[in-house]
Amino acid sequence: MTERNEGSGAFAGRKLNRRDFLKMSGAGLAGAALLGAAGCGGGASSSKLIFSMGSIIPTYNALIDKFNKQHKGEAEATLRAMPSNATTHYDKLTTEFQAGGGDIDVIGGDVIWAIQFAAQGWIQDLSDDFPKSEQEKFLPAPISAMIYEGAVYGIPWFTDAGMIYYRKDLLEKAGFSGPPETWDELKEMALKTAKDTGTKNGFVFQGSNYEGGVCNGMEYIWTHGGEVLSDVTSGKVVVDSPEALAAMETYASMVADGVAPEAVANYDETTSEPVFGAGDAVFLRDWPGFYALLGIPEKDGGYPNIKPEQVGIAPIPVAKQGMHSWSTLGGWNQYVNAATDLQDEAVTFAKWMTATEQEKFLATDGGLRPTRKALYEDPDVTEALPGVELQKEIIFNNAKSRPVMEYYGDMSLELAEQFNNVVTGDTSPQQAVETLQKDLSNIMQQAD
Amino acid sequence: MASTTATGKGTGRRSLNMVLFYVFVVIFVFVSVFPLLWVFKMSIVTKSELYAAPPTILPQSLSGANWTQVLGDPAFQKALINSTIIAGVTTLICLFFGSLTAYAIARLRFRFKSTVLTLILAISFFPAVAIIAPLFIQFTALGIIDTLASVIITDTVFALPLTIWLLVAFFRELPVDLEDAAKVDGATTIQAFRKVIVPLAAPGVFTTAILTFIYAWNEFLFANTFLFDPSTQPVTVVIPNFATIYTVDYGAQAAASVIVTVPLVILVLFFQRRIVSGLTAGAVKG
Amino acid sequence: MTTASREKKERSWFKEEFGDPERRTAYYMVLPSLLIIVVIAFFPILYGIVLSLTDSTVTAFGSFVGLENYIEMFQDPDFLVGLSNTVIFTVASVTLEFILGLGIALAVNRAFRGRGLVRAAILVPWAFPTVISAVMWRLMFQPGIGIFQYLAEKIGIISGPVLSDPAALLISAIVIDVWKTTPFMALLLLAGLQVIPGDVYEAARVDGANVYQRFFRITLPLLKGAILVAVLFRTLDSYRVYDLFWAFGAKELDSLSTYVYEGVRISQLQFGPGNAAAVFIFVTAFLIALFFIKVLGMRTSTEE
Repeated sequence: MTERNEGSGAFAGRKLNRRDFLKMSGAGLAGAALLGAAGCGGGASSSKLIFSMGSIIPTYNALIDKFNKQHKGEAEATLRAMPSNATTHYDKLTTEFQAGGGDIDVIGGDVIWAIQFAAQGWIQDLSDDFPKSEQEKFLPAPISAMIYEGAVYGIPWFTDAGMIYYRKDLLEKAGFSGPPETWDELKEMALKTAKDTGTKNGFVFQGSNYEGGVCNGMEYIWTHGGEVLSDVTSGKVVVDSPEALAAMETYASMVADGVAPEAVANYDETTSEPVFGAGDAVFLRDWPGFYALLGIPEKDGGYPNIKPEQVGIAPIPVAKQGMHSWSTLGGWNQYVNAATDLQDEAVTFAKWMTATEQEKFLATDGGLRPTRKALYEDPDVTEALPGVELQKEIIFNNAKSRPVMEYYGDMSLELAEQFNNVVTGDTSPQQAVETLQKDLSNIMQQAD
Repeated sequence: MASTTATGKGTGRRSLNMVLFYVFVVIFVFVSVFPLLWVFKMSIVTKSELYAAPPTILPQSLSGANWTQVLGDPAFQKALINSTIIAGVTTLICLFFGSLTAYAIARLRFRFKSTVLTLILAISFFPAVAIIAPLFIQFTALGIIDTLASVIITDTVFALPLTIWLLVAFFRELPVDLEDAAKVDGATTIQAFRKVIVPLAAPGVFTTAILTFIYAWNEFLFANTFLFDPSTQPVTVVIPNFATIYTVDYGAQAAASVIVTVPLVILVLFFQRRIVSGLTAGAVKG
Repeated sequence: MTTASREKKERSWFKEEFGDPERRTAYYMVLPSLLIIVVIAFFPILYGIVLSLTDSTVTAFGSFVGLENYIEMFQDPDFLVGLSNTVIFTVASVTLEFILGLGIALAVNRAFRGRGLVRAAILVPWAFPTVISAVMWRLMFQPGIGIFQYLAEKIGIISGPVLSDPAALLISAIVIDVWKTTPFMALLLLAGLQVIPGDVYEAARVDGANVYQRFFRITLPLLKGAILVAVLFRTLDSYRVYDLFWAFGAKELDSLSTYVYEGVRISQLQFGPGNAAAVFIFVTAFLIALFFIKVLGMRTSTEE
């Protein structure tokens, strides 16, 4: 870059120089970026694939390198880092899609994006490349979340489900022998244990007005026997039911009865985990990955003061004994951009990323839960994923997809807001359920 | 220097005023700087203290982990460079074209001045979030998505209105006969502009430069939307990425924020001298 | 006037504008800025206006529906809340920022020891990256770990989380914005102060004017140009507030622009009203600017 002084002098020649400089620097930077991204190797004949993913961990880079080595001469993949924040990430993807598809070939995306992308025609139907015989090898819940109009639109990559963490040692001190099965039990245990052991909070969870809040709220509705939609991808809005009402009443009672602090209305994962990690909560509702942070030194992002031995994992409580427990399904999948020129290569990449070997690497190196059922029997995997033995059942049997449909963006905004209102007490459970019924029905009507 | 000498009530009154003055100054400085100090504290304590409830006032358990992480992160280093380029080039372009336009409006005679000024101002009426998508489409067509040029152009478009309006206000303050005096000495319009007006309007010019630079430096929306390759992204986009899918690393973000703020302040320290010296630059002679 | 002489007048107007070399130079000087702005921004703004009059969705361009989106927008309680929040926020912030900014500018205008450092320190809030600032502030207001939540509770201003109380949230946002952008005002007004020649004050002092008279009769009038520009731009910026409300309020604090963002970028069904709101902001901001120009006497040229 050349030196330049302050902008005095209005001669046309200098004006052009500035514009040229812009063009040159723009082109130069683009060129440098491409060069940097191209990595090593890659002959003239190999197709250049772009894979986008958010919240990059070194595991993804390692996977990309491995792919490139194995497919040298045929295809070369580069990793495009997307924002860590899910909303910003989604926003960026939709901007590209709206502008005509963009140049990303394979998209690493959240499980709730599948239907939204599919309904707009932005991602590829993979039914031919991912037939039922293959699908059976994977966990059922992630697959069901990607079915739109009978076709499957992605391949499951890694998964998540909500669960309850509890302080075994504190419960023991308070005289409880095991985790709670019902919500009432949880409340009772939380209050008594907190009081007896002098713990600040009984129960903390993510109750803020965001997608995580929807995850929390849905678990209450399902475990009370209620539903929001009569079936996952379409159907009637059935949230105005006695079951859902009971669910919201339980949800409201957490703060109202002092089981959880008022603060939960502003908590997300980042702010609720430290409370449990500091020993200030008896129960925490969170995702499986939290277990790996127990007893780990701080510089690795962990909570050294609470050891894994002190913590137990339990399914989400239910309304009445004997009912089936449900957890909100999370996780990320591989999607193929409908506008890609490299159809075959993209599908090859997606299938490769979700192959047994790669999913195993995701688990052992990245600490992410695989979506292939067989891997949960693999001792290397169970060793690498702390707590997975305890979590396996929840992941296999209890995971349920949020009511994703074409306009889930709108639905999610509604659900998040009403659930949060219930937690803060701004709306009564009855009002919340009625508002949801009305607003969600509106949305569903427009979906047809 | 203003004071109460007119009433002649004596040194007692004056020192009370001075004391009050310094008290207010200290309060202002403290209020301005406190949040930065707090964020700095966030960056140098351990994670458990960061999330301590109730919060600790003075740091108790120190940790350099955030700083080593951020300073050693090549993506962050590159982002600093990108931010500097974006902010620097935007400022230069804005100053250059903006001062020309402002001068013409303030000091030269032609019709349509109000129209021009209003047209220029009109871009400030529209919320940026609403025109992201069409801008994206436009830039895709131009092929400059994922280059710094897309952000520089957009930042310029949004910073020009303030630049121009401000410089118009400043140029207008200058005595009317300045150019005529210069022209009598044989200067052209452009030369009069360069050699007489600009130096005298220096406080305004440097202030505009600082404000534009900081605006472009802090700009997030366009950088986030138009830049995909991490090697092109400025710090505003990179800092929120100190996070995982599940949780945000506030300690690292805090450290990065401090790193990003301090140079700006030093930059201003450097430039604010020029603002003062602009005053003493020659007056109209004779 | 006869046709011949009118034509002559029109032709000479054109000649007068573009024939005069000085005027031509003026147009050349103005053109680049105008071009950049109009070329880049014209299409997107027009696109937004057109979209607001159709029933388009995010992916498909729809058909003309007149003012339907606007009606839906005005009936949307979220929009009305956003509107009232935005107006309160704008009036409160700009007023406070002006008063404080002017005070700081006057104070720093004197030469005193440590002035340079004070100037730099006062600029810190403005230099702090906005997107991070809002997030950090949210942390500082988080229940339990946030220092300001803690202090607010201790002093007794509030008993529950600030972040859950809409009024407290708005007030906090105003405080944060005043903290953040007062330097902007101060810097502008300071530059304006420094262009005022010192001998004007000397003459006034010799005439026996006291501090207040000097301030109101000399300083303020001479500062009027800078004040109006600063206040106009701050008003327009506050009116379009988005980053602060979004990151600090985390969906609990609505402004006009967050309503637009939610409608245009997140929701799919609110796309129409979202665009309508964007145009609403555009039109009302234009009216605000007109107010400044016509009523407050902001001069747009040197012509008397």
